[in-house]
Amino acid sequence: MKYVARGLVLAVTGYLSGVALTVIINGNGATDELAVIAGYVLALIGWLAGVGGIEAFGRQWIGKTPKVSESQGWKRYFEFSIDHKVIGIQYGVTLISVLLIGGLSAMIMRIELASPGMGVVDLDDFNKIVSMHGILMVAVAVAGVIGAFGNYVIPIQIGAADMAFPRLNALAYWLLPPVAVGLLGAPFLGAFNAGWTSYAPLSVTNDSGQILFNLAIITFGLVSILGALNILVTVITMRAPGMTWGRLPIFTWAGFATSLLAFTVTQFFAAALVLVTMDRVAGTAFFSPDVGTGLLYEHIFWFYSHPAVYIMVLPGFGVILELVTTFARKPLFAYKAVVAALLSIVGLSVVVWAHHMFTSGMADFLHGPFMILTEAISIPTGIIFLSIIGTLWQGRLWFRTPLIVAFGWLFNFLIGGITGIFLADVATDIHLHDTYFVVAHFHYTIVGGAIFALLAATFYWFPKITGRMYNETAGRIFGIWVTLAFNATFIPLFWAGMNGMNRRVGDYPAAFEGANKFASVSALILGASFLLFVGNLLYSAIRGPKAGPNPWNARTLEWLVESPPSQHNFHSQPRIVGHPYDYGVEGSIHAHFPDEEPHAEEQREEVTV
Amino acid sequence: MRKSWIPVGILWLSYSVLMMFAVANFSWLPAEWSEEAHVVDSAMLLLQYLGAPVMALVLAVMTWSVIGWRDKGATRQDGENIHGHRGIVTGWLIITSLLAIYVVINPGFVGLAEIRGEPSSDHVITLHGQQFAWSVEYENGATALDELVVPADARVRYDVMSADVLHSFWIPAFRIKIDAVPGLTTQAYATATREGSMNDDVNLRIQCAELCGPGHARMALPVRVVSEQEFLTYIDNLKAGG
Ligand code: HEM
Ligand SMILES: [Cu+2]
Ligand SMILES: [Cu+2]
Repeated sequence: MKYVARGLVLAVTGYLSGVALTVIINGNGATDELAVIAGYVLALIGWLAGVGGIEAFGRQWIGKTPKVSESQGWKRYFEFSIDHKVIGIQYGVTLISVLLIGGLSAMIMRIELASPGMGVVDLDDFNKIVSMHGILMVAVAVAGVIGAFGNYVIPIQIGAADMAFPRLNALAYWLLPPVAVGLLGAPFLGAFNAGWTSYAPLSVTNDSGQILFNLAIITFGLVSILGALNILVTVITMRAPGMTWGRLPIFTWAGFATSLLAFTVTQFFAAALVLVTMDRVAGTAFFSPDVGTGLLYEHIFWFYSHPAVYIMVLPGFGVILELVTTFARKPLFAYKAVVAALLSIVGLSVVVWAHHMFTSGMADFLHGPFMILTEAISIPTGIIFLSIIGTLWQGRLWFRTPLIVAFGWLFNFLIGGITGIFLADVATDIHLHDTYFVVAHFHYTIVGGAIFALLAATFYWFPKITGRMYNETAGRIFGIWVTLAFNATFIPLFWAGMNGMNRRVGDYPAAFEGANKFASVSALILGASFLLFVGNLLYSAIRGPKAGPNPWNARTLEWLVESPPSQHNFHSQPRIVGHPYDYGVEGSIHAHFPDEEPHAEEQREEVTV
Repeated sequence: MRKSWIPVGILWLSYSVLMMFAVANFSWLPAEWSEEAHVVDSAMLLLQYLGAPVMALVLAVMTWSVIGWRDKGATRQDGENIHGHRGIVTGWLIITSLLAIYVVINPGFVGLAEIRGEPSSDHVITLHGQQFAWSVEYENGATALDELVVPADARVRYDVMSADVLHSFWIPAFRIKIDAVPGLTTQAYATATREGSMNDDVNLRIQCAELCGPGHARMALPVRVVSEQEFLTYIDNLKAGG
């Protein structure tokens, strides 16, 4: 905690000096946007220096050897640790906390929307809450699985001792708390009311909270880009001997594909926000109707934000495929086709952005090409479904909590994908765009596809990470509860959207009351399910029974080491000798450890029974 | 391997039939008040019919997973070593591609042509969006702030503009929508098919569909569809009165 405290002190000092500097030089007020920008930038630098940057980087700049946290136990989670496992847990805990805060904001909205008219908040506050909710949840979906499990699992799955750039990895994580503080602090400057999409010109003229949104999201972009870079280099250069691309576990493949995408497109959101910021404080006119152009923002924004939906869901594909093979006890069906599908999704997803703009007033001749390309993505997505079906086929399914949640995922993502076709079709989208139908669609894909994967992954790797087993009964109840409540919440919203209810509204015509009331009650039940989730995990992390190295009889490397893995993951360099999913092949093994032949033998007994 | 095809096939067929029956009998679509609404609704219906067997297939597999493929005796044994099957993967690719191509053509391009093709119109009405109200300007220069009056059985072109931020002009009963973009004039077409007003259907309203600020939710204007004769009289009177 000492370093966090030092970081906070330096951050506050930084903020105040930034503000003071602009006040003195420029003569503006202390809440002027220029002052906020200067304050934020210096606060960020102060924070990074304070939490450990001084030792990890600064010492090197003056010719001394750098130092990072060597602590063990609880302390290391609050320090500048470069262990990818510690960083994975830091991401996981931070983002699940953000998920819960975002969830609370959803509860407020659903309570407001339970009946027409205004009750607990007013119209403007509603827009601000909806904007906050949107961006918090988008951040969780973008970074959740890849930040927590990508960091924790990928290096072990490829047989590496850590990430390629461990200090950079820590730096990326420590940029995350400022993002949360920036966003959650925005209400002090009037909050932001332009939605998570922050379309200009509204985002140029609204309250100053928008400036904090811009700064925080640019910072978040940096987290994404640095994290992605690290995963790409790690997977390319740090694979164990014998870990060919054709033997790479599918979760690692998915993380790799995600990182390719995140590394390539994230800067566009930042670019759009830089332009907005300049329009606000530097007197430029990128989005002014007289000089600039009204559609520019949407194009830049969606050039990132469509791929972003795949940044959210590709790691989810990886998790679910990994779980399905493990619990079906069968090889992953059509592994190579799945890899090809992941990579073609990466390619296609950067050329479909304008399907968010069918009603934007862009030239009509653009509708056709973007419709064709969008429909084309359903083909590789179909391959993922084929692989899941083929893997389940004639399997010996072991219905533990991870698989139950994975089944919830399968159902939800199916609905998300099918409703996506309605939105990709220009004729139907003209009616459905910006209605509750879209809201329901992207909750089915994002909550259904990314958050459910985060939940499933949490149960699956919980015994590895904590060394203890969660409570199975509570887990199963949660899995079923969360799936049913989620569907009860969002199915009625498809109806509301088709029938004329637009999105991002605190009030609506009385005709939509029934569907909204139903959704609100279901949403509260959905929210309550998370008490069981958090309760189960907190209790089990401390009191759960010991899990042993491989409770699922899985074959990938992380299950061949103790739970939790030792500091450098492996006691000797593993050698990869076979495919990770060769279930059902007598005597096959994925990896062995030359120095511990008996240990490898023992594993082999276990996995091939 | 063989024996699962039969139960899964039966489940698939039954789910498909059930879902198609549901689509045919329980429409979720609101009332249609324009020719465009009919085009959109037909497309929506077609996509539901096409989606049913796709959804049914996955549901069938999920159902049989629980019934047929559960590891009942908790044997913890491995399943069969099936890595893939070239024929199945190729077949699947061909079928999904054909389905995607079909959907792009119909309702895709067919609907697109019907809704946004043919730029001709009998009347032009201009809508000015502004935080947080719509104002209507008719072809004779008359303006109104209290309602939009539209002739039935005539193709109307809506020219949409904004004075400040993005708004979106949406009449749910007509299923048409186009954003109001500062600095641009955007266009949408609709042919109303019967007379009525917001008292008959809440969807006979212009609703702003693009988040535009605090008053966004209530940025709506009633729409009244009247005969073409009445329409002409209405705008003449409006002009004389204003
Ligand atoms: C088969 C796959 C999919 C298709 C064809 C599809 C299609 C679409 C289309 C055309 C839109 C624009 C709708 C509109 O605003 O009018 C849309 C919106 C959206 N989709 Fe999907 N989608 C698919 C999968 C996904 C996935 C996997 C995710 C996320 C993980 C996702 C997340 C979103 C989001 C966030 C929006 C709305 C963003 C906003 O307006 O705020 N979609 N989808
Ligand atoms: Cu998209
Ligand atoms: Cu609006």
